Amino acid sequence: MEHGSFTDNSAATFSLTDEDHTIANAVRFTLNQDPRVTFYGYSIPHPSEARVNIRVQTTGDPAREVLKDACQNLMLMCRHVRCTFDKAVEDLKQAML
Amino acid sequence: MEGASYQRFPRVKIRELKDDYAKFELHDTDASMANALRRVMIAEVPTIAIDLVEIEVNSSVLNDEFIAHRLGLIPLTSQRAMSMRFSRDCDACDGDGQCEFCSVEFHLRAKCISDQTLDVTSKDLYSSDHTVVPVDFTDYAGYESSEQRGIIIVKLRRGQELRLRAIARKGIGKDHAKWSPAATVTFMYEPEIHINEDMMDTLTLEEKQSFVDSSPTRVFDIDPNTQQVVVVDPEAYTYDDEVLKKAEAMGKPGLVEIYAKEDSFIFTIESTGAVKASQLVLNAIEILKQKLDAVRLSEDTVEADDQFGELGAHMRGG
Repeated sequence: MEHGSFTDNSAATFSLTDEDHTIANAVRFTLNQDPRVTFYGYSIPHPSEARVNIRVQTTGDPAREVLKDACQNLMLMCRHVRCTFDKAVEDLKQAML
Repeated sequence: MEGASYQRFPRVKIRELKDDYAKFELHDTDASMANALRRVMIAEVPTIAIDLVEIEVNSSVLNDEFIAHRLGLIPLTSQRAMSMRFSRDCDACDGDGQCEFCSVEFHLRAKCISDQTLDVTSKDLYSSDHTVVPVDFTDYAGYESSEQRGIIIVKLRRGQELRLRAIARKGIGKDHAKWSPAATVTFMYEPEIHINEDMMDTLTLEEKQSFVDSSPTRVFDIDPNTQQVVVVDPEAYTYDDEVLKKAEAMGKPGLVEIYAKEDSFIFTIESTGAVKASQLVLNAIEILKQKLDAVRLSEDTVEADDQFGELGAHMRGG
């Protein structure tokens, strides 16, 4: 769920249901490395409710696109970690044989 | 894509790998990524656990719900879990969540006929799917096989009987801890320890020994050949500042400097046996990717919800 201005889509607040710090903090890390982002913050309105509010402000690009790119980058990183881990497990098994 | 994104790609180095225990290093990434992995491993990697119990006969000393609770906590081998469907999402069954695609059936029949106490254990649970069975904790390191009987569910006296049918379903740790595949998942910052050798040379051997002994865990030691204080195990350091306080008490602050490398983590993972430790990490990464996909591809709507009416109006400058 996104709430932003109709005229200026470089700043928006997103509300994600069924999410928590796991994804919001990881995206925070990726987004703060993106030079297009001027502000990123998230909050959890109430711990009993699984909802995260994310605020993104950019230097002009649509906030939604920037968030999507951040998710993409994180997925790439996950893929890389997975490949590296797989390879490390294989190497270890080879070494133990 | 975007301009100069300062994204780095992490490196992994495995230290130790056993079936239910893994220790590995993760470099060049941030604490938020490590924490996301840890949280997903504990709470969102799916496993299979008993979720519904139909008891036909129970004349044991424990009541029905007690036994059902204990059955739920038994870890089941869950290699199938990642490819299985959640019962609530299954369209093959009539909605009661008991078809072969979304669940596994178990039955247990035990009656004590001898005078000796009968232990009903997890080994007495018979599964309809041979890939989903209670985890076998047999330790082959020198124990007699008669001592490894599985997890004890209940003990029966002569004449007492237990007969039940149980359905196991896929779930995640967030819903109930019985579905969590991880016993413990921890990560620590990798410490970097520098000893100021010039200052160290001004100490006598007794002072060096008392300095080495002041650490609760064995981080330092005195090399017998050179009589110098050396770092023997940097990772035993638990970030208590005992050695730093001792150095200050001896009148030599700055004797040793300890930093935590901010982008280097050492993970220690212990699994319950439901999923292998290495498989647990891989599944966690997979689940994290799925969550990110869901966010990325979600159809977000801009019009105001009932509860967000005010927020929407405020955002639009109203």
